Amino acid sequence: MIKIVALVFAGGAVGAVLREVAMLTVPNLMHGFPLDILVANLLAAFMLGFVTALHIRRTVSDAVNSLIGTGLTGGLSTFSSFAYGTTVLATASTQGALVAFAYVVTSLVLGYIAVIVGMKLGAWPPLSSAGQN
Amino acid sequence: MKPLDVVWVGLGGGLGSVLRWWIGSIVGERYHGEFPLGTFLINISGSFIIGYLSVLFGVDWHHRYGAALNALVLTGVLGGYTTFSSMQLDAAKLAGKTRGGLAATYLLLSVTVGLFAAGLGAALGRAQG
Repeated sequence: MIKIVALVFAGGAVGAVLREVAMLTVPNLMHGFPLDILVANLLAAFMLGFVTALHIRRTVSDAVNSLIGTGLTGGLSTFSSFAYGTTVLATASTQGALVAFAYVVTSLVLGYIAVIVGMKLGAWPPLSSAGQN
Repeated sequence: MKPLDVVWVGLGGGLGSVLRWWIGSIVGERYHGEFPLGTFLINISGSFIIGYLSVLFGVDWHHRYGAALNALVLTGVLGGYTTFSSMQLDAAKLAGKTRGGLAATYLLLSVTVGLFAAGLGAALGRAQG
């Protein structure tokens, strides 16, 4: 219990700092499209899919899953900034509303693809053909 | 980025992530349905609070780093508390169990209710401010 809390805290702290780095280094696209948050969310979705697949086949331990899967990717990704950023964009202007719509659609579609790609990559090669028993 | 900001964001992100894990565990103990209720409730409540606090703190959401309070609470705690990656993983798991309809419903519901919650929080902040 204490161990899980420590792992989730450490992973979440590192993830949030990585997101801050993305906010400071990734430029926003035209018309206020929040590319920084999108990059953080896509990266986290990919990593979570990858670590989850590795955890399912027991390539990574419960501890690593808590550190990376629950902590780091959860701290790196954010739903609150995604939702609030969208409402601010959407209520600013007609053009802002279009950018907000594009932001939501790309986040959902690419985020879903990112987690699937991560899971496929983490599940490859299949255990049977990898020579493990 | 100031060195102190990193400390605040990291501290907040750690605390928010532990809170997410803790609430997720509590919801998971009481609810055993297919709908990813824990992540849903976490994301909706986090969206409401960020809307409310952003207006209350009086910050432009795009330029909010710099002040310690914003770094700790908005970027750190709320960013660590809410999660985009788990939402997508939940949806992918449902779709993998041939529950694609429920997965799509979950994603659309999370976004629409999340946007509504953020707007409601901001409106409440403006009404108080």
